[in-house]
Order: sequence, then structure tokens, then C-alpha cells
Amino acid sequence: MGYTDFACPTSRYVIERLPMTKYLLRRLLHGLISAGIVVAIVMILIYSLMNRDLIFAHDTTFTNLGNNQKTVYKYRRWQEYGYIDYKTYADYLAMLTNNGEIDEETRARVVGFGKKAENDSEEVAEYVARFEEYYKKLGYRVQRLDAIMATPRKYANGGQQQLFAYKDLPLSSRLVKYFTGLIEIDNIHYVKEDIGERKLTFTLHDPFYGGTKFSPAIIGNGTKHKYLLYFNNRFPYLHQNLITLNLGKSYSVNTGVDVFTTMTQPQGSYLPRMVTYPTGLQEESADDLHTAVYVAGSRESSLVYTDRFNDDYTSMLTVKSGLSKMGYSFVIGIIAVMLSYLIGVPLGIAMARRKDKLLDKLGTIYIVFIIAVPSLAYIFLFKAIGGKLGLPTTFDMESTRKLMYVLPIISLALPSIGDLMKWLRRYMIDQMNSDYVKFARSGGLSEHEIFTGHILKNAAIPLIHGIPASVLGALVGAIITERVYVIPGAGNLLTIAINANDNGVIVGVTLFYAVLSVVSIILGDILMAMVDPRISFSSKTR
Amino acid sequence: MSNMEKDNNTGLEGFSDEELFRRVDHNSLDSEKITAPRYSYWRSVFRVFFRNKVNIFVLSVLLLIIAFTYIYPMFCEYDRFANLMNSATKHLTPAAAIKQFGFNLHYILGTGASGQPTFDAIWFGSRISISLALICAAINLAVGVLIGAIWGFSKTIDMFMTEVYNIIGNVPYILLISVLVLIFAPSFWTMVFALTITGWIGIAYFIRTQVIIIRDREYNLASRCLGTPITRIATKNILPFMTSVIVTLAAVEIPSYISYEVFLAYIGMGLSDMSLGRLIYEAESAMVTPGWEFEFWSPVVVASIITVSLYVTGQNLGDASDPRTHM
Repeated sequence: MGYTDFACPTSRYVIERLPMTKYLLRRLLHGLISAGIVVAIVMILIYSLMNRDLIFAHDTTFTNLGNNQKTVYKYRRWQEYGYIDYKTYADYLAMLTNNGEIDEETRARVVGFGKKAENDSEEVAEYVARFEEYYKKLGYRVQRLDAIMATPRKYANGGQQQLFAYKDLPLSSRLVKYFTGLIEIDNIHYVKEDIGERKLTFTLHDPFYGGTKFSPAIIGNGTKHKYLLYFNNRFPYLHQNLITLNLGKSYSVNTGVDVFTTMTQPQGSYLPRMVTYPTGLQEESADDLHTAVYVAGSRESSLVYTDRFNDDYTSMLTVKSGLSKMGYSFVIGIIAVMLSYLIGVPLGIAMARRKDKLLDKLGTIYIVFIIAVPSLAYIFLFKAIGGKLGLPTTFDMESTRKLMYVLPIISLALPSIGDLMKWLRRYMIDQMNSDYVKFARSGGLSEHEIFTGHILKNAAIPLIHGIPASVLGALVGAIITERVYVIPGAGNLLTIAINANDNGVIVGVTLFYAVLSVVSIILGDILMAMVDPRISFSSKTR
Repeated sequence: MSNMEKDNNTGLEGFSDEELFRRVDHNSLDSEKITAPRYSYWRSVFRVFFRNKVNIFVLSVLLLIIAFTYIYPMFCEYDRFANLMNSATKHLTPAAAIKQFGFNLHYILGTGASGQPTFDAIWFGSRISISLALICAAINLAVGVLIGAIWGFSKTIDMFMTEVYNIIGNVPYILLISVLVLIFAPSFWTMVFALTITGWIGIAYFIRTQVIIIRDREYNLASRCLGTPITRIATKNILPFMTSVIVTLAAVEIPSYISYEVFLAYIGMGLSDMSLGRLIYEAESAMVTPGWEFEFWSPVVVASIITVSLYVTGQNLGDASDPRTHM
């Protein structure tokens, strides 16, 4: 009985004499700092330790390029993936022009540099020297690649001369950049161009619904998003675009899109319906006008946009039939969690009450099976059994059949049922020998009363601590279950990102996991303190 | 109290002192002997362990598998691609394989994608998997128990280590392993390194909690008051108490590395050697192909038998090594 003295998980933190809210705030701050350190560790792992040539392993553009172009492409990609800062000679001249140091004519004159350094004209050589000096002072390394010629007059494939400066981004500046850009608050000064009167309008009748239906909304001009607050018919009905989370941009998994959006964006096929555009044009479309984002000069760029919009808020998401990645993971996860508590708790109690009887023995065999057998093995076993029974074994976003949820839910619930049974049985049996139970029994209480009224209450406390973790854990998804049943959930995101070397997604997902785990432990403590009056945060527990 | 009353009722009146009392000389040799039955800790552990018939069965299954895993490969040549050029040998069911090659131990589980005997592949694979699990468990348990003990005793180290634990616990394990596997080649020792670099910290935390619970018990307080040095308290008072905890922990740890290896192989981040996990990973498509199921299910079943027998043996040994069960 090695586990009889198992300490409850709260002892993770030293509890000090502080008022409850102050204590919790401190814990939260502490946790968030930990999450920040985790992000730093992960950044060191992926940006400093991992071989950065790996991102080109499956890049066909890279293999097709040759000579100098290949080198430049490499540096450009490294900049996109966040490894280095990269500036070309042309960038430098453009910067000078923007600052007003040189005029457009000079720029055009000196932008073309020689095939070799000695071929430069005097004026070009002067600017090249200034370029080198400027970036060397900032700690960059300047590299000039001489032209590679196939014949004296013809460049070899990709052999054009190149001049650029680059430097590795230090961890500190990378961290600062990441955390300062993490939360973006939309404001009316977002748009750089002239856009007319910058303002926020609050309306009770959202023009999206024709302006007659009661539906409050806040509409901005000069902001990034057109709608900052609105209602629609999708859960959770009230939506906002005021605060945007930027966990990290994806480079290959979902190119150019933020991790958080990747996880929360609906998937599946387009759901076209009648849409009335701001110009009054009615069209069958899947556009979600509420998500319109400003794109400079876009209205003039295309006739379609000129027909539809009155302003440059033209880029938007589409309405799709499926749930988001997180949505699928959460639906499956939360049902599995509820199911496992509904089944696991009564079974655990029954096992403790009939200790060493048949039910207890059967339950123990099940627990051993679930703990010891590799999870992959029993998930495949459930899949095979389910397939034999005629249940769908693969997930199809287009299908509305509820049956396809059954096997993933079972696969997720059965192990946590085993886990709950194990711990509840253990805790209850530990409680059964304590003095208060003997006292209750001598006082004439029935076994049923003792078990449900006294033992269960005490034994359930450590389990209650785990409830927030399992609910929030459902958001993250499950790797094997989602792979085996081909569910488009969030669980696979990290493994896909790792395989694709998508650094932005890796960092974003890590931060998301870390914050979730910090929050769920704190919520668990709060829940436990609410259930058990003996636990309090305002005094020492030990 | 009760003894005195008893004496009064037995009617000792009337006996002289000489009749009641006999002089016993002091014997220094006799006084050294303690009249208790001989007790050997480990003998009692095994007595309790073998009392249960299930344990004997599971232990023999485990020994059989380990014998097969380590001895069988010594006596057999296994070349994965030996039958590669013969298209008639691929994906055979056991019956077809026996028909093809004649009755032979190698082919009783059929053949795989390149005509390799599944039976041989499994034992070569499980040799890698079991070795990995044993080495990782040995390193993690040794480091974890040692650091956990120090962690539990020192208040300053406790503050520091708790922070470290909170931070490391949040770094996704898959990320760490895959980065390490990408930096080095996905070899056996890389895997050992990846599984042990942070693997010990969970064990250390568990041991730390146990140490804190036992550290302040009365007998340890008394021991400290009498001036026993901390190292002696740790090795003589606390370590014996922890034996069953450590054995139980090992029972959970060793199979978990096999499961982990299978899991990592399945998501494509495992070993490059043909371990059990990699066998399962490569045979995944065979699961749904009629007639090929043996290829997939045999490594799965063998991996499960190994983990279950290791787990059950370890748990029951852990129970048996708790002195409270030695009555």
C-alpha cells in the first residue's frame, strides 16, 4: 500500500498568511511569470538548439533555386520564421528615401550595384559603404555575394549579385517583442491612411440586419476591425473584436494566421446564404460581414469590392459549416469528462464498499488494464471493436451523424473512468479506517449514510481539485484519439507544428498550454476551498 | 491494575518467600539475546509475494518474456530485408506463412511488409523497448529519489525546486523530446537522454512529498533531538520506510516508458531502430486491411503483455515490501 499517504496536490504551493484575493492574485502573477519562463525556454530550444536548415527539408522552392538566389531565399525564410533580422541594400535605400535623406532619383540611380565590388561606380560605392557602416554599427553582419556568371554576359541560374545584412535576434528582444505584441487593443488610430472622421459608433440596430432589428453593436471607423462588438446567432452570441490575442503567426501549418485564430476558426465547407452588403447589394455568399478588417486601398483594387463595400473594410472570414479545432476537441472532451465522472464516481464508491468482493476485483483488473496497457493499444482495440459493431470509425466534418462522436468519446472516457475509480477507491478505503468513521458507526449510522454522507465528502476533495484541469484540458484535445479517428481537433496542432518546424505555432501553443495549466491549478484550489471549509488561503494549513 | 487484582485472587497466602522466589544469577550472555522470532526483511517480502498464486503466474510470464527478449535474439539471425525480393512472402497470415516456409518458429505469426517474420521482429523490437524502459527507469529513479530526498529535507532547496518543478512541468514533453530528437539523431541514447532529462523531476517531487510527511513524525523528531546526523536519519529511518514507495513507483515507471516509446513512435517522433513502438507505427495501415491484422496486433498484444506483467509484478512487490503486510 505504497500510496496510502499520498499528499493532496495542493501542497504544490506554500500557503502564506495573506487575504484570499491578494493570495490568489499573487499566485496568478507567479503562474504567469512561470508561463513566461516556459516560453523563454521553448524559444531557446527551437531558435538556438534546433538546426535551422531543417525548414528547407520539404521546401520545393528551395530545391529549385540556385546559387545566390538560394542563399538569399534561405535568409529571407529565416527572417519569416523569426530566426534572424534581414535587411537588403534596397531596403536600406528605401528607408533613406522615406526619411527624406535622399530623393527618389538618387535612390533609383544607386540601387543597382556592380557584379563585383570593384565594378561599383563611385556614387554607388559610397552608398554601399554607408550601408555597411550603418548595419555593422547595429551589430549586423554584412554579406556581399558576387554575381555568378554562366557565360561572360549571362547570369548562371539565380546568379545575380546580392548585398544584405543580417543578425541573429537575441532572446531578450525576441521575448519583449513577443509579449508586447501578445494582446492587441483595437483603436481608432490603427489606420494610417486618411479615412475621414475617426470614431466609434454605438448603435442599437445593427445595419447588418437591415437596421430595423434590435441588435446592439459598436462600429468603428479608423479601427482595424469594423465591428468591435456585435451579436449574432452563433455561440456565445455576443462577440468582440476589441481585444485580439496574438499568440504567434503560423508559417506553414496555416500560413499567415495566428495560432489562436487557427484554433478557434470554424472549419469545413462554406455555408452560403443571402448577404446584404453595405452598398445594398444582395448576393449568395459565405462572407461574415461582422469580421470585416481594414485593408488599405482594397476597395479600389477590385470591381467586386467596389460593388459590395462603401469603405476599405473588405477582408473577412467566411461562415463555415463545421466547428473550430478547439470546438471539436472541446465537444468530445467535455462529454467524455462528464461521462467519466458520471460512471467513474459511482463505480469507485461501489468498489470501496465491496472491498475484496467480485466487483472490486473486476474493477481492479480494469484499472490495471487501463494503466499498464499503452494507450495506443486500447484506443485501437476500441476502434476495432466499434468498427465491428458498425459504429463509424472515422470523423467526417460534412456529416451530421451524431454516431461518429461515440467512439472518440468512449476512447477518451474509459481511461479517465479507470483513473477516477482508482483514486476514489484508494481515498475512500483510507478514510474507512479513520476515527470519525468508527465513531459514526458506533453512533448507529447506517453504512449507506456513513459512505455517502461522510466518507465520500472527504474522499472526493482531492478529486474535485482535478475538475477544472480536466474541463480546461478538454480545450487542448487529445493527440492519439484525434489522430486515430481523424478528428480535426486542436490536439494535433503541436505535433503537426513540430513536424513542419512552424516556430510561431510551437511558441503560441506552448504559451496557451502553460497558461491553461496555471489557471486550472488555481481554479482547482479555489474550488477545493469552496467545498472544504477546512482549507483556507488566509492562514497556514500545515 | 488488572495484574494486581489477579494476584490477590489467586490465593498466594500460605506460601513462604522461599517457595515463591528463586534467585537467578546475572548472566551477561543471556541478557544479550532478544527472544523474538528471526526476522529477515527481504525473506518476508518474498514470502508475502509468493503467497499469492497470481503473482507466481505473472512473474513467470514476465520471466518468460524477458528470457525470450534477451536470449532468443542471440540464437537467431534476423535480417529485415532477407525476403525483400520475394513478393510471395509479404503480408502473409500465419497459416499462409507456414505453408510458404514450412513449419518454423519464426513464421508462426506470419510475415510483414517486406516479408520479414513478425515473430522475430517482435522479439528484436521488444529487446530495444525493454532495454530503453529499464535504463530510463533506473536513471530517473536513482536521480529522482536522491534529489527528492534532498529536496524534502532542505527548506531553501524546496523553494527553488518547487519553482523549477512548476516551470518544467509546463514545457510540453513532446516538444522537448522532438527538439532533442531533431538536434541529435533519433538513436537509442538520444531517446534515453530525452526521456530522462526532465523525467526525474516528477519522481523527485513525489519522493519529496513523502519525505516531508515522514520527516516530522515523532520518531524522527526524537532521533534528531538525540543528535542523529541528517544523513543517518535519511538512510536508516526514512529510506526503509520508502522502499515500498519506490518499488511501487518503479512498477508504474517501467511500463510507462514502453507506452511512451510506443506513443512517440506513433506520432512520428520515435526511434529509428525497429522498436515495438515503431513496429506498431509501421504496421498501422495493416490493421484495417483484411488478412494483414496479425502484423499489427501481435506487437500491440506483446507490448501490452509486457507492460501489464511488469506493472502487476511491481505493484504486488511494492505491496509485499511494505512491512505492515508481513504479519
